[in-house]
Amino acid sequence: MKTISERTRALHPGGLGSALRSAWPVVAGVVVALVLQSVLAPAVGPFAAKMVLDIGIAIVLAVSLNIVNGFAGQFSIGHAGFMMVGGYAAAIVTYYGSIKLWGSPEPHGGFLGSGDLLFLFACVLGGCVAALAGLVVGLPSLRLRGDYLAIVTLGFGEIMRVLAQRSKDVLYPEDVAGKSMWEVSDNLGGALGFSGLPSYVSPTPWNEDTGHAGIFFVYLIVAIVLISAYRLKLSSKGRALLAVRENEIAAEAMGINTSRVKVAAFVMAAFFAGVGGALFAHEFGNTLTPRELGFQKSIDIVIMVVLGGMGSISGAVVAAAALTLMPELFREFAEYRMIIYALALILVMILRPQGLFGIKELWETTAWRRIRARIVRGKEAP
Amino acid sequence: MSEVLAARGLSLSFGGLRAVNDFSLSLGSSDLAGLIGPNGAGKTTVFNLLTGVYQPDAGSVLLDGKQVNGKKPSQIAAAGLARTFQNIRLFGELSVLDNVRTAAGVRTRSGLWRSLLRTPLYLAEERAVTERSLELLELLGIAHRREEQARSLPYGDQRRLEIARALATEPKVLLLDEPVAGMNSSEKVEMRGLIQTLRKQFDLAILLIEHDMGLVMDICEHITVLDHGMTIAAGKPAAIQSNPAVIEAYLGAPEDETTAESEAS
Repeated sequence: MKTISERTRALHPGGLGSALRSAWPVVAGVVVALVLQSVLAPAVGPFAAKMVLDIGIAIVLAVSLNIVNGFAGQFSIGHAGFMMVGGYAAAIVTYYGSIKLWGSPEPHGGFLGSGDLLFLFACVLGGCVAALAGLVVGLPSLRLRGDYLAIVTLGFGEIMRVLAQRSKDVLYPEDVAGKSMWEVSDNLGGALGFSGLPSYVSPTPWNEDTGHAGIFFVYLIVAIVLISAYRLKLSSKGRALLAVRENEIAAEAMGINTSRVKVAAFVMAAFFAGVGGALFAHEFGNTLTPRELGFQKSIDIVIMVVLGGMGSISGAVVAAAALTLMPELFREFAEYRMIIYALALILVMILRPQGLFGIKELWETTAWRRIRARIVRGKEAP
Repeated sequence: MSEVLAARGLSLSFGGLRAVNDFSLSLGSSDLAGLIGPNGAGKTTVFNLLTGVYQPDAGSVLLDGKQVNGKKPSQIAAAGLARTFQNIRLFGELSVLDNVRTAAGVRTRSGLWRSLLRTPLYLAEERAVTERSLELLELLGIAHRREEQARSLPYGDQRRLEIARALATEPKVLLLDEPVAGMNSSEKVEMRGLIQTLRKQFDLAILLIEHDMGLVMDICEHITVLDHGMTIAAGKPAAIQSNPAVIEAYLGAPEDETTAESEAS
């Protein structure tokens, strides 16, 4: 029987075709994001558009947490901590950076003008700083598992919250002059939050004063997160993560460096959570406060992952959308939100402990196949 | 014939218990050897020492002439030592095919970035992995179950899947921990044939732990007998069968029948 490397060589990898095949989902993602921005945003009005933004950000967070909790089976309940790291890192860039560049923290330039580019850079930077934090939090996962690891991640989230709370007041543009970026990096607004951030993620349609194509940015990142998560799940690297979750001893015996795989999962998840945090921080109507991104937020994201099914990307998407819409639909019961969440979670644990879709994707579930089969049969029938 | 796996004077204690004492072994390429002994003799502990799950207190393990003790199990697996588990350890929620593909991943070079960008190399490797995994499932006779969840397989097929998964890592040496445990006689005959086929087809050295004496005596060219962590005999099957120390370990001393019964139970 031929070895893998012999076979790989025989397949003559290469060619322009595969580059196109690799790129088209991203292109499709960009197109979808553009369509959502140009069609959906004006059609549904600002309130619903804000919901669309919220759902997008929730998807980014749920799908990224799913990489750690779902794929790698490491129970993390500190995801909001990574959001916070990414959000504040990005906020320093856009707020103080804007002041230094343009003298004011207001959104600058038009679509993909200098202001948008600064914002995108801030998102990536926020992701990178969060990924670094993910590396630090991932290391205990090598020695701890289950509840113990959960406590470490919880502790991480709380530490981040307290650090943000202890930061100094936000400086006004006139006070920033003469100070380096490093000097202002502790002026994050403390418990009151980092107010005055430019709202690059706004629900308004194109070309209005504040309109910086928020839906486009959010769904561009949603597309990247979804494509990355899906490609990861189907790859050898993703299977290595699932193997660690299923049986660590067997995974190690099959040549999988389980330590590396676990830390990599934490880093990747933290990166996307950091980007999600950056989006959240610049979303119109949000204030980046430590309380907003506390334990409660982490639990919200965990619930999305558990409800959707540990390891199911489409499950996380569906749950993220549903759990973001629910409080708005049942506005009058807002106080009971946590009770409803808890009940829903208990019910799921009793009735369907693997979550909505389990490890499968929506289109792999038996229910979906049955529905599709019925539709196909319906068409064939005279 | 060159030596692919060697153990020299391996010892390991758990607290006051000497689980393995001065264990040595030499396995040439495409050798088929057996490791037997009563329950608790330390056979699986030897496997765990060879594969790096435990670190020996003394002694060394050489794979293809290179020292591997002190390395992580994943590094040893990558160096060409694969194993199956006595208490089956499959990736239960994954499909049968994915169990094998996961193990084959150790022979791919694409990292995270290549996987996310789906570069040509990555795509070719994934295809190669899938092809080879399917062929392995075919060889083990479980290809028709490739889409099923591993945990839903019948017991015998789970054992076969463990072997397919181990082979997917492209090993030079295969350690089989009780490959026919819990199988009926016709399954045992199949497994015997399979082990011999694998060894020929893959030019593998195989070391197996087994309680089924018929199988061990039949197919192994060399047998090592452990009792209480000590190697009490080593040699050809015929010599082992008539070795008084081995008979005593399994059946007890002939003079004292009551102890023999209590030990056998």
